[in-house]
Amino acid sequence: MNTMITAACIAGTVLGGAMASAQDIPSHPREIEFEALEFMPPEADEFRHELSNGVPVYMAPSNEFPLVDIRFSFKGGGYLEPDDKAGLSAMTGQMIRTGGSSMMAPSELDEEFDFLASNVTVGVGATSANARVNTLTSNLHRTFELFMDMLRNPRFDDGRLETLRGQALEGLKARDDNGLAIALREFSYLMWGEDHHESRQPTRESLESITTDDLRSFHEKIFHPGNLMIAVTGDFEEQEMLAFLEEQLSGWEVRPEAPDAPAPTHLYKPGVYYYEKEQPQVQVLVGHRSITRDDPNAIEAEIMNQILGGSGFTSRITNSVRTREGLAYTAGSFMQPRVDYPGIFASYFFTKTPTTALATRLVFDEFERIQNEPVTTDELETIQNNLIETFPRNFESKDAMLGIFMNDERTDRPEGYWQSYRDRVRAVTPEMVQKAANEYLHPEDAVILVVGPWEEIRKGNADSEADPNRVATMEEFFSGQATKIPTRDPESLMPIED
Amino acid sequence: MRFKQALTLAAAVILSTSTAQAQNVQPVEYTLENGMKFLLMPRDEQPNIITAGWIAPVGSANERPGITGVSHLLEHLLFKGTDSIGTSDPELDEQYREQLTEIREKMRAYTLDVQYKRMYAGEIENPWDPANDTDELRAMRAEMTALQDKQAEITIKNEFDSIYTGNGGSGMNAGTSNDFTVFYINIPSNKLELWSWMESDRLLDPSYRELDAERFVVIEERRQRLEATATGKLDEQFDSMFWVASPYNWPVIGWMSDLMAYTEGEIKEYFETYYQPANLTGVIVGDFEVEEAKRLVDSYFGRIPNKRPKAAPLVTHSVPLLGELRFSGECDCQDQVEVRYRSVPHGHPDEPVFDVIADLLNGRTGRLYKSLIEDQAIAALASAGNRSMRYAGSFSFSALPKGGAELSELEAAWYGELDKLKTELVSERELQKVKNQAAADNFRGLQDNSSLFFQLAITEAYGGYDYLNEYPKRIAAVTPEDIQRVAQEYFEEHERAVSYYTRRGGGEIELLTIDDVRASLPEEMAGMMIPQIEAELANLKSETDAEALRAQIEEMDAQAGMVPPQFETAMRFIKQQIQVRIDEIESGNVEGTEGGDQ
Repeated sequence: MNTMITAACIAGTVLGGAMASAQDIPSHPREIEFEALEFMPPEADEFRHELSNGVPVYMAPSNEFPLVDIRFSFKGGGYLEPDDKAGLSAMTGQMIRTGGSSMMAPSELDEEFDFLASNVTVGVGATSANARVNTLTSNLHRTFELFMDMLRNPRFDDGRLETLRGQALEGLKARDDNGLAIALREFSYLMWGEDHHESRQPTRESLESITTDDLRSFHEKIFHPGNLMIAVTGDFEEQEMLAFLEEQLSGWEVRPEAPDAPAPTHLYKPGVYYYEKEQPQVQVLVGHRSITRDDPNAIEAEIMNQILGGSGFTSRITNSVRTREGLAYTAGSFMQPRVDYPGIFASYFFTKTPTTALATRLVFDEFERIQNEPVTTDELETIQNNLIETFPRNFESKDAMLGIFMNDERTDRPEGYWQSYRDRVRAVTPEMVQKAANEYLHPEDAVILVVGPWEEIRKGNADSEADPNRVATMEEFFSGQATKIPTRDPESLMPIED
Repeated sequence: MRFKQALTLAAAVILSTSTAQAQNVQPVEYTLENGMKFLLMPRDEQPNIITAGWIAPVGSANERPGITGVSHLLEHLLFKGTDSIGTSDPELDEQYREQLTEIREKMRAYTLDVQYKRMYAGEIENPWDPANDTDELRAMRAEMTALQDKQAEITIKNEFDSIYTGNGGSGMNAGTSNDFTVFYINIPSNKLELWSWMESDRLLDPSYRELDAERFVVIEERRQRLEATATGKLDEQFDSMFWVASPYNWPVIGWMSDLMAYTEGEIKEYFETYYQPANLTGVIVGDFEVEEAKRLVDSYFGRIPNKRPKAAPLVTHSVPLLGELRFSGECDCQDQVEVRYRSVPHGHPDEPVFDVIADLLNGRTGRLYKSLIEDQAIAALASAGNRSMRYAGSFSFSALPKGGAELSELEAAWYGELDKLKTELVSERELQKVKNQAAADNFRGLQDNSSLFFQLAITEAYGGYDYLNEYPKRIAAVTPEDIQRVAQEYFEEHERAVSYYTRRGGGEIELLTIDDVRASLPEEMAGMMIPQIEAELANLKSETDAEALRAQIEEMDAQAGMVPPQFETAMRFIKQQIQVRIDEIESGNVEGTEGGDQ
């Protein structure tokens, strides 16, 4: 100990005695006093501009690096696919990017972007599509011209379509190789139904049926200024950029905005479901449909989820399944609200076969506890402080900040949401958390999905030497009733007889 | 700011082929009396946020048989608290820990003696599995569980994490590699003192609490990352084969036997040797004042003593491959091939050349896409990569076939690409393209605090952060002649390892048909051979002796070298049909005519 103190003191002398010596070190971090951190969330209006065709442009310049990043975000996505064309949306995005433009063949265009060292990406997701350019400032004009031609007049080259289709078809073969991928797919089917855009999957048949005409008509539905918002960050001058975008987008026909994504109509049956797969570790998801993003109680529901399983090591499920019992490396829960319809709540963990039932029981114990007892003030304050203190991180990078603004505008986030966020977090009480647990957790209406060797999972650790309090079998859930999900052919996803 | 000017300057020359000006990342260097070094990198682009952490240049390469995986387990245990964090009663906790150590050592000694002997005698498979416990061992285990349950009553679970969480820490984690172990977190910029408190506290006096439960967590992690992934277990063995003598030949997470066996003494010795302050570097990037940071790290990290002599440097280095190594295995995975060579360690003058070669091959304008994916249309995916680690490096080609293409075709196509690299000089334009991309990507990699943090920490652990500034210059200096020389020098037939992974029971999906055989034969031969093959196959249906059929396959394999190439498909088809018949016989399904794989 002596040497340490001396070392610190010597260093202190060198610095003119300004520093603390070891004796000043508090015995616990709760005794440290911190300077207050001032932070006000930025207002979207201060960054928002509009082109003459009505396209919103959010801009936040910064000249630390000689790079410019321009992101186009379009309303529309997988939900606009015709029913028998699953995979068309993703394929359209990839084909816009790789299929050439009116001025250039695919390989010429790729070559040009690569030589300019410009990163150009296009992707179509479930509800929105993105096209993005990240380029050196010096190469902006050339890159952006090529980008606009590609986006407005994609060539959809036949050879590239066949290459992509071939890659996608090979990818299908691997769909049953990974237990977690199976678990997520089947859980999604159970929650949304197999035909909803949240869960729909391409098949060999649907991929083989996609033609360039399909690509063209899908491109027309989404990629036009009527669906567009733009975010620009990096090294540029605002007025110049606005004039540049105005010029580059001129003459691009503005068509009507895409419709909203449809809500699912599927109803699921609570119970235990299993998918047979020979593997040394079982993936488990326990969950049900949950709430919408703008639900008036969304904040306490999220705090409840964080205490339950959503905040890593600090949450109860991780504590009991991983830290205390050593049954899993990954264990927790998530609450995923949706804007237009209720989202999903689920708890998840991966454990060895015989302890699947035991870990499931521990999770159900935690559901019960958070419904029956108020959470402690310690737990609640930890989560409240975390949400409040990490709040600035939402706006950490300019790119993330503009992303929030665009999303809020598109989804009509209620006015003042960010400004009042921390006060609303602070106002949550243990009683409100308990109420949320009772209102938004429904263990009796949950689906328990397991992927693994069912006979062994079902038996649990009944024939082990574990102490009697740590013995469990799957018989204890839903009166031992379980539904087999038929094994699917990885390419067609149709059930196969076995 | 110097930093920014240097960067802007580099951009101005990025498209010229003349000497490119390199970036200049200049953190403030600060070394404490105890030898712990800090790299301080203030940045105001992301206000209110700091990424902070520290790195130890120690990883699985520093281990030895018997303690493989200990670097990684130790990384987990460093989140388990100290005397001040994680327990409500430090004295009682210490008593429990001592008692646990005692019983753990007894169980270990017993297992290594009695249970290992039972394993060698073939009585049990896994000496560590509680299901194989003898009465004596079961009694010890019960004693241990009872102690752990008592200790749990005074343990504040995950207090280390919840303190950070409650103070706005996010993304807290750590990572262990073959060569280094790194701990990091994002904190609000007013919490630098908290970070200094927490990190210096765990370096000062870690408790290794909950060691036994954490062992099982790591075993589950091993299952999750390796055993329950499509190719994990095979990758581990291929790696092991490839590295021969080098300590890279065991997995970072460790062999299963060793995970069960570490003692607290071994872990502690490892910690005190490799985690003493003179061996560590702290890195802070983001919105903070340098003088304030110096004051804090002085008082907090300055109190940590060096307890042991400096760790001995690594002795065993890799030996060259003396022949071609081939590995084949089955998994629930797509068919895939990898060809791997020894490259060079981090910082070696040829490292940038290997990286440029990988860049020439990758991407949609890269050679592999153009040749294997588009022109020959035999691959769904194909890529190459160089991985220069601290003590040695590897360069890999890997690919997944498209449609019915054979892995051997992909392998041959790769050798074709290599020949081009060896015999033709790369054009200036092609080389300039990858240099332009590398230069722009250097900027992209510096934009974000955490990305900058990792680059500083890892290059420092590998020998000095200044390599961050040196490396882009070396990339810019690579010539077509360098590429040709490296291709000729390192990519040798007798110094490579090749792996073929095929789908378990994979014949089911891509079974050859008689039509494939017909198409593979020259027309005049097809007319003659097809009826012959069909007659032989008809005979197969009456065969019921699986062993005789196996012998037939072996005989065909032995003669495989003599078969002219145009008959290869026919031979494969015949072998396949024999195998189908063997499966039928062995599954008891002898009447069936359809092949099955179960």
